[in-house]
Amino acid sequence: MSTEGHSGGREDDQVLVAEYALGLLEGGERAAVARRIATEAALSADLRLWRNRLSSLDSEFAEVAPPANLLQRIETRLFGAPARTGWWNSLALWRSLTAAAAAVAVLAVGVNLTQPRFDPSTLATQLVAAIQSQEGFGVEFIAVYDQALGQVRITSLKGDAVPDKDYELWYIKGDQPAVSMGVLPVNQKREIPLDAAAKANIAPGTVFAVTLEQKGGSPTGVAQGPIVAVGTATPI
Amino acid sequence: MTSGTTSDIADLIARTALRDRGAFRDLYSRTSAKLFGVTLRILKDRSEAEEALQEVYVKIWQRADRYVAGGYSPISWLVAVARNHALDVLRARKPVSDDIDAAIDLADGGPDPEQATIQGSERTRIDGCLETLEADKADCVRGAYLDGFSYEELATRHSVPLNTMRTWLRRSLIKLRECLTA
Repeated sequence: MSTEGHSGGREDDQVLVAEYALGLLEGGERAAVARRIATEAALSADLRLWRNRLSSLDSEFAEVAPPANLLQRIETRLFGAPARTGWWNSLALWRSLTAAAAAVAVLAVGVNLTQPRFDPSTLATQLVAAIQSQEGFGVEFIAVYDQALGQVRITSLKGDAVPDKDYELWYIKGDQPAVSMGVLPVNQKREIPLDAAAKANIAPGTVFAVTLEQKGGSPTGVAQGPIVAVGTATPI
Repeated sequence: MTSGTTSDIADLIARTALRDRGAFRDLYSRTSAKLFGVTLRILKDRSEAEEALQEVYVKIWQRADRYVAGGYSPISWLVAVARNHALDVLRARKPVSDDIDAAIDLADGGPDPEQATIQGSERTRIDGCLETLEADKADCVRGAYLDGFSYEELATRHSVPLNTMRTWLRRSLIKLRECLTA
């Protein structure tokens, strides 16, 4: 099976692919083999074989916790530094709204008490946010976060559907970019199950905001439409 | 992985491909210790390994749609991305271009009958096959894969001339392949 002195020999090729899989090839040689693998089925099948077999050694890579701030550095690189001009960073806006939200929260507690599942003896965190309309939009929601259930229950209080648009809910923790929680139906109640990141980030002071986006919500993961309502989570 | 099942990780990769930042964070929290272990072991320099880990997750965010579920374990794909990037840093010390793209594409290439076998038995099998090699040659294979040693480094570590090391390892790889496909 061995073919001497010819780079096209089957056994030579197999060795080349194994060397490539192990990372033993460098520079131009590595690039040349990569190109051949991309176009020759036998070579790419061989590479899959090696990767598959070698990956069983992966368990020998010990887990080492990276520095605590590394995720933030990655997110800054991917999503940009928290923009000073972004609406979610307008401190003055949040401060002015927090007082109003707290006032409406009293009402929200009343609303929440009418929910059959409310248990006053529970020690788990419950937060409420009155998501009030920005001037001219006439939209209001109430969000109740139940840590024990791991969900946010959001109720539409006021506002009409807008043709070809959807309301989208976001949470904003501190300086971090807004994270979408999905689109909201109008005139309905909705329970939104939370992922681990949302559970970790939703706390007293977390801001909920509703924007008006294209149908189906922002396609980019970043709010594009105007902010129509906003509120701050407050402990019940 | 100690945390999360295979399907959890696959799901998080899929959601990351959909630009779900929450899923990306979750994926990071579940896999970053493993991938940091990879970049640290290969680069053997903490700040370089941290920098490499950032690049790796940037790639994962940008290329999560290249991962195709089925056939290839999701954590293996992530490890392959981390390992390939660390090797590129180690070898070239310059920004990665086409190589990592090729590596990512190939890591998740079409389903292969070979891949149907479960990971546990693969583990036994590569250990068994490495045992058929002489101990120092098996060490070379493991050193190349786990530590990213080049032929030069392997030759130095085993105190043999470079060409001897190439001959040794190439013969060992042929033997290893025969065992793995037997």
